[in-house]
Amino acid sequence: MPILTVKFADEDRRITFAPGRSARELLDETDIRVRAGCNGSGACGLCRIRIAGGNAGEPSANERATLGAGLLSQGVRLACQVKPEHDLDVEILNPAPPSAWRSLDTGSGTSSLPGPSPMPDPKGEHPLGVSVDLGTTHLSITLLDLASGRRLAGRRGLNPQETAGADVMTRLMAAQSAREAERLSLQVIGAIGDGLRDIAVREGIDLHRVGRVVLVGNTAMLAILSGRNHLLLLQPRYWTETIDCLPMETASWSATWGIGPAAAIKVIPPLAGFVGSDLLAGVIATRLTEQCPGALLIDFGTNSEMALWDGDHLWVTSAAGGPAFEGCGISCGMPAEPGAITRVAVAPVTGELAFDVIAGAEPRGLCGTGLVDLLARLVGNGTLNVKGQFAPSVPDDGFPLTPGKGELVLTKRDIDIFQRAKAAIGVGIEVLLAKAGMGHNDLRRVCIGGVFGQSLDIASATEIGLLPAIPGRSVETAGNTALSGCEALLYTAGVDERLRDARSRARIVNLSDCPDFDTLFLEHLYLQPIAPV
Amino acid sequence: MATIVNKYVIEQVSPMHNQNMNRLIDVLLEGDQARAVAEAMSLKNGGVEDERIIADAIEPAMGRLDAKCTLEQFNLLEIMLVGRAVTGVIRALYPDAPPAPSRETVVLASLEGDVHDLGKNIVRTIMTAKGYRIVDCGKNCPVENLVDAAVREEASIICISGLITSVIPSVREVVPLARRRGLTMVRVVAGGAALKQASADTLNVDYVADSVFDVIRYLEDHPGELS
Ligand code: B12
Ligand code: FES
Repeated sequence: MPILTVKFADEDRRITFAPGRSARELLDETDIRVRAGCNGSGACGLCRIRIAGGNAGEPSANERATLGAGLLSQGVRLACQVKPEHDLDVEILNPAPPSAWRSLDTGSGTSSLPGPSPMPDPKGEHPLGVSVDLGTTHLSITLLDLASGRRLAGRRGLNPQETAGADVMTRLMAAQSAREAERLSLQVIGAIGDGLRDIAVREGIDLHRVGRVVLVGNTAMLAILSGRNHLLLLQPRYWTETIDCLPMETASWSATWGIGPAAAIKVIPPLAGFVGSDLLAGVIATRLTEQCPGALLIDFGTNSEMALWDGDHLWVTSAAGGPAFEGCGISCGMPAEPGAITRVAVAPVTGELAFDVIAGAEPRGLCGTGLVDLLARLVGNGTLNVKGQFAPSVPDDGFPLTPGKGELVLTKRDIDIFQRAKAAIGVGIEVLLAKAGMGHNDLRRVCIGGVFGQSLDIASATEIGLLPAIPGRSVETAGNTALSGCEALLYTAGVDERLRDARSRARIVNLSDCPDFDTLFLEHLYLQPIAPV
Repeated sequence: MATIVNKYVIEQVSPMHNQNMNRLIDVLLEGDQARAVAEAMSLKNGGVEDERIIADAIEPAMGRLDAKCTLEQFNLLEIMLVGRAVTGVIRALYPDAPPAPSRETVVLASLEGDVHDLGKNIVRTIMTAKGYRIVDCGKNCPVENLVDAAVREEASIICISGLITSVIPSVREVVPLARRRGLTMVRVVAGGAALKQASADTLNVDYVADSVFDVIRYLEDHPGELS
């Protein structure tokens, strides 16, 4: 039988195989795993490998689409598309992260959540609470001392369901089979348990002290978690309706998580088919409905959710711009992990680009904020025009980020994908303002949620029109607002009342009902400041 | 094997005229609707026939746009702007009624479950400019309604635009239903980001188009009678 050799810096691993299956399927049976996000359809471009020897066959149309001629010519391929027939040597370019859980830094950002008051608990007797933000891509978990409201530990990890589809639609499609739906539910319950155990082991905390758990998330993730009504979400008419996705039982969850059997587990119901309780939690965290009117919250993600408070109503919508803000689907993109470029500056004299790289490593790719900075700099120095077209001096296959070192090239297609994601947000802002009868000048506060928001350079984002310009007023990067809101729901007195109020004032807006979507979308494709209308 | 046939009859035109046509092509490609309309109207007022403007400026501009519709070169804004400029010029040339369609009837939709219609609208704009008669059945359109429209309008082509993968099962139903309804000659073409990666076989359609220009080429190369 032929052999698939996986080359690592220090060793070679050999896998014998029978032809007919993709390299990704072969790898998935081992402990060597490559990242994946589209159920192997070749659309997400995550499962990158490099062919180091042997014949991998002609690239598929999908590989040409997602990788482009540049990467293909360097031997880069997609593991889910390559079906080896003979011996083949490969390198894994995009391995699945070995440790799924990363610690959350405690309390960054400028969220207006009141700071926790210290209240020592030397004997470890205070009851504990857990808050969970269930996102399509990431899971975030924090453990709180319920007596003091202090965050004891936090973890952030990948949602393991990613392999069944990085976007909501693909995942819902996978969940059409009852067996797969059950597997996905158990998988995410298991992952929350893993995160909690990681905290328990490393921080030495007894999980039996957990008396309360609160979960927020987007509607699709909560429905898949509870195994209820997720298939309704495939039908557009349910997007603006309430979806019942509260779990039938949670005793098995407590058992899996190893928390107190009497712990109260509460899933915060989403607002509608496409607006989750993560957005509501964000509204609570930023006190959006409790301060001045003209407050806008944008929770950036694959499916960015937004809310605008006009003093009376909370206008909410969601804009599925795609995962560009997470560095996904971009040929030179990557998540905000070590090696990711987060900021780009122009050196004053030479005009050369200078990068900030996470963990100071060699740059391996651009994360969302790096991409925003880069585009702003390139438009600023005339390398790119506001339509997203390169100057004639830029090579045909794109703008080389690290000249001479190959690999990192910003392509025209990358820019196009970013422009679309940005335009979807832009239409969302315009439509919410129109519904509220407000103009750009009425905006007093813009709160930015999501990990992307945390390291976003506001000036760059404003220059290319990702955010509205609100001179002299405040743009708050509020971090993971869904999670901090979830924490508030866990321990703050009176917060249920605030949540009920926000819910009753919410008005759901469906962007696909917008009659002049095309025109607004076109205006927001431009990489230029949003012109107040 | 290949013999090159020159389809173009070179006519006597003034260099001045040529220069103006080229300028119109350039502004069309820049997507500058206002200037394109101004250029076209100045040609028209200078005695150039509408048909010439279409053949010598709009057609070549769309040809050059076609070349930019590759994966590497594609830019949505560019395409939308050119589409708008072309529509603007045609509207200015024919202010009272659009020119009678010179080609077949196409019914076009995004299927039930899919509310994305930007791609569909681009297809409508470009194919209209190319002389097709377009019947737009909108977005979130049930397969039955689409096929009904094809029967009613005596369409020879059905175009489906798909942006989300969940519509694939519905796409597969279009050909069988069309055949049951007696549309034996109608050709079914699929396009859009969620469909263009699939093969015609998996989608159970006659052709999967990369871009709107691709479908036009396909239709030109496969005239209806032969299907
Ligand atoms: C704009 C947008 C929206 C708008 C749509 C408004 C509208 N009126 O169209 C709004 C905000 C309403 C929206 C909603 C949703 N969206 Co949306 N959306 C997008 C976005 C940003 C752009 C899509 C687009 O218009 N592209 C432009 C067109 C012109 O490109 P194109 O299809 O390639 O078309 C070209 C060619 O293919 C060709 N063509 C197109 N059609 C046809 C047909 C034929 C016959 C031919 C010949 C050629 C052809 O012509 C064009 C020019 O050449 C994409 C993300 C992205 N970055 O692309 C997500 C995206 C398509 N949306 C997505 C999702 C999931 C949704 C939602 C379900 C999200 C949610 N949970 O609520 C909802 C509901 C959608 C539904 N069920 O229909 C996903 C789909 C994922 C998947 N695997 O299916 C995407 C990819 C984002 C993502 N990665 O998550 N969305
Ligand atoms: S899993 Fe291979 S491209 Fe998505």
